[in-house]
Amino acid sequence: MSAPAIKVENVWVRFRPYVDRRPTLRRSLATFRHKETQLVEALKGVSFEVQKGEAFGVVGQNGAGKSTLLRVMARTLRPDEGRVVVRGRMSTLLQLGVGFNAQLSGSRNIYLGGLVAGLNKKQVDERYDEIVEYSELGDAIYRPMKTYSSGMFSRLAFAVAMHLDPEILLLDEVLAVGDEGFKEKSMATMHELLDRSGSIVFVSHAVRQLADFCDRAAWLDEGRVRAIGEAHGVVEEYREFVQRRRKELRAQGLA
Amino acid sequence: MTTTTPSPVYYARRFNEYMAELWRRRDFVWFLARGNIKARNASTVLGLAWWVLNPLLLGFVYFFIFGLIFPTQRDIAYLLSGIFVFHYSSQSMSGGANSIIGNSKLLVNIRFPRLILPIAFLLESTFGFLASLVVLYLIVIPFADVIPGPSILWLLVALPLQIVFNLGLAAATARLAVPFRDITNLIPYLTRIWLYMSPIIWPLSMLESVSETFQGLFRLNPMFPIIAVYRTALLGYPLAQADLVAMVAWCLAIGVIGVAMFIKFEGRMVRYL
Repeated sequence: MSAPAIKVENVWVRFRPYVDRRPTLRRSLATFRHKETQLVEALKGVSFEVQKGEAFGVVGQNGAGKSTLLRVMARTLRPDEGRVVVRGRMSTLLQLGVGFNAQLSGSRNIYLGGLVAGLNKKQVDERYDEIVEYSELGDAIYRPMKTYSSGMFSRLAFAVAMHLDPEILLLDEVLAVGDEGFKEKSMATMHELLDRSGSIVFVSHAVRQLADFCDRAAWLDEGRVRAIGEAHGVVEEYREFVQRRRKELRAQGLA
Repeated sequence: MTTTTPSPVYYARRFNEYMAELWRRRDFVWFLARGNIKARNASTVLGLAWWVLNPLLLGFVYFFIFGLIFPTQRDIAYLLSGIFVFHYSSQSMSGGANSIIGNSKLLVNIRFPRLILPIAFLLESTFGFLASLVVLYLIVIPFADVIPGPSILWLLVALPLQIVFNLGLAAATARLAVPFRDITNLIPYLTRIWLYMSPIIWPLSMLESVSETFQGLFRLNPMFPIIAVYRTALLGYPLAQADLVAMVAWCLAIGVIGVAMFIKFEGRMVRYL
């Protein structure tokens, strides 16, 4: 088997609460004086690999560390311990339309979105027509994006992201966007990416969809990998856990 | 393309790799700056006219106060040249910090050399500065009898140096203000003190009336030599070699220190957004 697309090795991420609360000079001085900082450990020694050509899902409850994990993989957040090795061009759709300026036309935002992801102007020029066609926006492409419906907005964002020729795609909650027709098209594009031995990491609460789409999945619980393996199995285990928890909570509520 | 984190600095292992990456992404810098300008033009009624109106109003306010009400400085060429040069540097402090804080979504989601954001702001403000120089001549040629001479070629020295200075200032402010948001509150006050310490609203001759120690203190202000060299370029004032040397030294020092501070901090930046 060829080298994995993403290798996450024993990653620890700790946040200091005062850091999270946007430290003020005073709070910083206080922690400086006391020297004791209460650590919140968002990821506690997470390790796994994502292979080439694989769709990998991550499930877990709110606060389990999924977003932190995505940021570590996108390498915008540096882990306190451990490392992440990424082989291939990565495109992130952690939030749709990041880097877009709603005041500007869709057309200009194609350039902004492409450039922010690391292309140069010439490379965007080459892809421009295809992106417009893929987005199915027609003449609306020349209107400011603030006039777009949310569906139009995400169609353009998705079109740009998919034309960056990603080898690895990180998706947060978004797998398919737009109306039914466009959803089908975007799913087909995802499968094409996988067939070209690209990799997709998909984090979502839509666990059924995730299980159907992904080959393997990891269940993240309080910063640790609780289960990893074939997607349906992991998702089933996770669902049982959530249902059990819910029953327990309901029982406590009744007692 | 294989990348491994963590690496010593956030984006690249070596300084020259970082700079190469910045250069590779120069189209992005350009579009970001132009996009901001376009968005601003599109969202105001007067649009492009603000490029002239902004410096005009800025100059008018200061001339009204310090030329007419408290006439400490009636030489309008001296006053406006100082104000415009000063404003170009002072706005890079708040602008540098805001370019990071205001783009937190971008920083959290996408990996790129973070210095791009202050650089794009700097580019944007440089256009504003150049427009203000046009306004300066529109005022001083008819009203102050100043004709630009060959000394204007000194702009080719002064402007690149001030760009380096402003980049350092913007980067250092961003480095400090992202973890300590308090600093964004302090910036307007620091700017005002800096303005009053600079040879803008008071004439250079005023320095002769204070002790030598004070004079030395005033001259420690980096704005002192910067404005002096600009006045040579713009208004044909005689050039003191000491000012030129001091300007070069200040600009390079602040530029290098600011950028180094910024790059060292870059890896932790997202934790504060």
